[in-house]
Amino acid sequence: MTSATLLFLVIGLGLVAWFFGRLKASGMQTAGKSSRSALHSLPNYHGWYVALWAIIPATIFMMVWSFVSPALITDAALTSPAAAGMPQDAFSRAAILSEARAIAYGNQVNAFNPLSQSMVEPYRDAITYYQMIGAIAALLMVFACGVYAWLQIKPDLRARTKIERVTMFVLLLASLIAIVTTVGIFLSLVFESARFFSMVSPIDFLFGTEWNPKAVAGPRGETGFGAIPLFWGTVFIGAIIAMIVAIPLGLLSAIYLTQYAPAKFRAWMKPILEVLAGVPTVVYGYFAALTVAPALRDFAVSIGISGASSESALAAGVVMGIMIIPFVSSMADDSIAAVPSAMRDGSLAMGATHSETIKKVLIPAALPGVVGGVLLAVSRAIGETMIVVMAAGLAANMTANPFSSVTTVTTQIVQLLTGDQEFDSPKTLAAFALGLVLFIVTLLLNLIALRVVKKYREAYE
Amino acid sequence: MNSLTETKRRPTDWQGPDMQKRIARRYAAERRFKAMGMGAIMLSAGFLAFLLVVMVGNGFRGFTQTELPLEIDFPAVTGGASPSQFEGPNANANLQVMGLREIVDSSIEIQYGQNGTNLFSPGGWTAVNAMILNDPKIVERKATVYLPVISDIDVAYKDEGNAEAEQKVRELGDQLSTGFNWNFLSNSDATDPMQVGIWGAFKGSLITMIVTLLLAFPVGVFAALYLEEYAPKNRLTDLIEVSINNLAAVPSIIFGLLGLAVFLNFFGMPRSGALVGGLTLALMTMPVIVITGRNAVKSVPPSIREAALGIGASPLQVVFHHVLPLALPGILTGTIIGMARALGETAPLLMIGMRAFIATPPSGITDPATVLPVQIFLWSDEVDRGFVEKTSAAIIILLLFLLTMNALAIYLRNRFETRW
Repeated sequence: MTSATLLFLVIGLGLVAWFFGRLKASGMQTAGKSSRSALHSLPNYHGWYVALWAIIPATIFMMVWSFVSPALITDAALTSPAAAGMPQDAFSRAAILSEARAIAYGNQVNAFNPLSQSMVEPYRDAITYYQMIGAIAALLMVFACGVYAWLQIKPDLRARTKIERVTMFVLLLASLIAIVTTVGIFLSLVFESARFFSMVSPIDFLFGTEWNPKAVAGPRGETGFGAIPLFWGTVFIGAIIAMIVAIPLGLLSAIYLTQYAPAKFRAWMKPILEVLAGVPTVVYGYFAALTVAPALRDFAVSIGISGASSESALAAGVVMGIMIIPFVSSMADDSIAAVPSAMRDGSLAMGATHSETIKKVLIPAALPGVVGGVLLAVSRAIGETMIVVMAAGLAANMTANPFSSVTTVTTQIVQLLTGDQEFDSPKTLAAFALGLVLFIVTLLLNLIALRVVKKYREAYE
Repeated sequence: MNSLTETKRRPTDWQGPDMQKRIARRYAAERRFKAMGMGAIMLSAGFLAFLLVVMVGNGFRGFTQTELPLEIDFPAVTGGASPSQFEGPNANANLQVMGLREIVDSSIEIQYGQNGTNLFSPGGWTAVNAMILNDPKIVERKATVYLPVISDIDVAYKDEGNAEAEQKVRELGDQLSTGFNWNFLSNSDATDPMQVGIWGAFKGSLITMIVTLLLAFPVGVFAALYLEEYAPKNRLTDLIEVSINNLAAVPSIIFGLLGLAVFLNFFGMPRSGALVGGLTLALMTMPVIVITGRNAVKSVPPSIREAALGIGASPLQVVFHHVLPLALPGILTGTIIGMARALGETAPLLMIGMRAFIATPPSGITDPATVLPVQIFLWSDEVDRGFVEKTSAAIIILLLFLLTMNALAIYLRNRFETRW
């Protein structure tokens, strides 16, 4: 019996328990109406009380069992007679066992090592044996706990209070998942990066200027992990080229939509612009690689720029900038709308034209909000993956020529982690170190942006 | 003395030529500024339109295929097979025993000569297979079937191909025709662009989205309810809020790294499966649902809570019987938007191995699967020119899917938006 079917069985039995609990409680309710011992909680709550008692302990047991049983199964398989011929070397033993396990669970069809084939049978037996023990124990727990809870049902059982306490706990647990995820991200990045930095010096990584992980020298002598060209490529595309496109277009769009546009035009245009942010980035990447990049290269060649590549920083940056427009414009939109209208009216009353009011009054007043929006947009741009993977290229160049190919942090993460690679080589682990840098930088940018926006909001309140 | 000269200053001459010029200049600047704003919007919208036109222009050809007619004299080439052989459960096996592929190849050689098989797409004969299964009586007569040609000729016929293929197109002339490519909707990934389809990726997307929804929606809604309705003001609550806001802004590829390190390497879950993909995307989507969910819960007026509390409901009953149903439309809108984002996501799924070549649609959450955006990414890397239009066609499907979801979100918002 697989754990999924067992889980469904337990939940099904829980529903049966719910029915019996409710039945008993509603019997008491009808009886209580004639006598004076009224039920504290509605019968439904009693039902849930029994059901939760039946389900929760058994589920917890199953979770614990799924962690404990693999070790027991391996032990049992090793004590079987077939294991006598196993090599003594711990490493090859582990390899044979994991292969036998994969076959026994049906994840793999054939064994590479003949010894693992002989281990499959004892493994299968052990699995069946321990799965049966687990299933029987879980079902016993369902019955025992369910009956215990059922016996507890009395008119003055505070079932609702107890159920509510459990529900509250579940709600809290749901909120805690955010913390767990954050901690999980941080720990997994730090842990894997630490392994990387035990092989490559952090100083070489952060300040080295040569990125060439394919030509790794070997244990201890690792070179080619200087990430400066990647950082430059990321900043060049995400913070320079993309922002040169996104800031003017986004800001002007926001100004036009908030200050000049008729209501109807605004109601149509704003969602249309927001579609730009909703198009999947792989579509932008394809578009950049297929249409924009060749056009830009032809243009560069026609005006005589040498070294124009078909994968250029400009193509990726321009397309990314266009993707970012809605972020900049909606942040600018909000902060312009937050400027008190008295300031605008005052300026207009003094005889300033609309554009003068916007340039001299509204924009300076809204500036912190706009800057915050731009910082958020930058953080998004440097974390963006697919556009740069498809359009920016792989050459780690430190160049300011927008028509040449550069590479970015995210591109390299994808490059390092796709394909079959062992998980203890510096090449693979370097991706986690890059991820850690990316995580910290975007985190800082976001924190600064939020701080800036918050500070500005207080100014007019 | 100074004040005296000031009082003597004459009033501004508004009608004077200098002033008129100045005003004209200011108005011109005003018009320029306004035009610039309009231009910015038009440029952005124009880019969107350009992108859509290019995609649709390339993509609609992906839904068609170039075909050549092939006459098969079934009684002659099969040696008198009877229709009853191809009915019932053994039909497919009987077709295999008969060697349908060789039969089709020999018919091609009869009609198009020795090298005729080089004209047709290698997997095209399966269309004949499906045709016989669909209508077994066909084996009693001569029939004309339209089979897809090889990718090179397809490209050359629709657009511009290599010289050799263009030559073939001229030779075949009127015989070539285009038909709707049903295979594109029902097949999975393949190495031959004439045989590829999006069904496998579509199904993978669907399963992944179901896993994501089942995990992210309850967790997101519960977290939103807890934070908005019950959470005491303390360190823990602050920590939760900070993490949620941060998670919403973490680059998606970082979630991929998390999935790789935790779900695959630590828990040893199956690679490439919809389960791990869904888990990873759920962690990404959850903060979006929490944030929009909190806004929806916040907008339910306090009077409703007070009324319910006043007639004796417990705090939990207040939320689950009154606040949640009223906030649900807003929460749903946020959920759909978050799901749309997850649907278009590629980078985290590349990290957890969903970029494998997968030729059969997944049937469970642990089967190797791929999703639409990853399929698009994989096809965009293919050298064969036939894949260009297939990639665009898959993009059209993805965009249609997304637009439907967004339209649904907007509809829900308009339909259920309540002003208290």
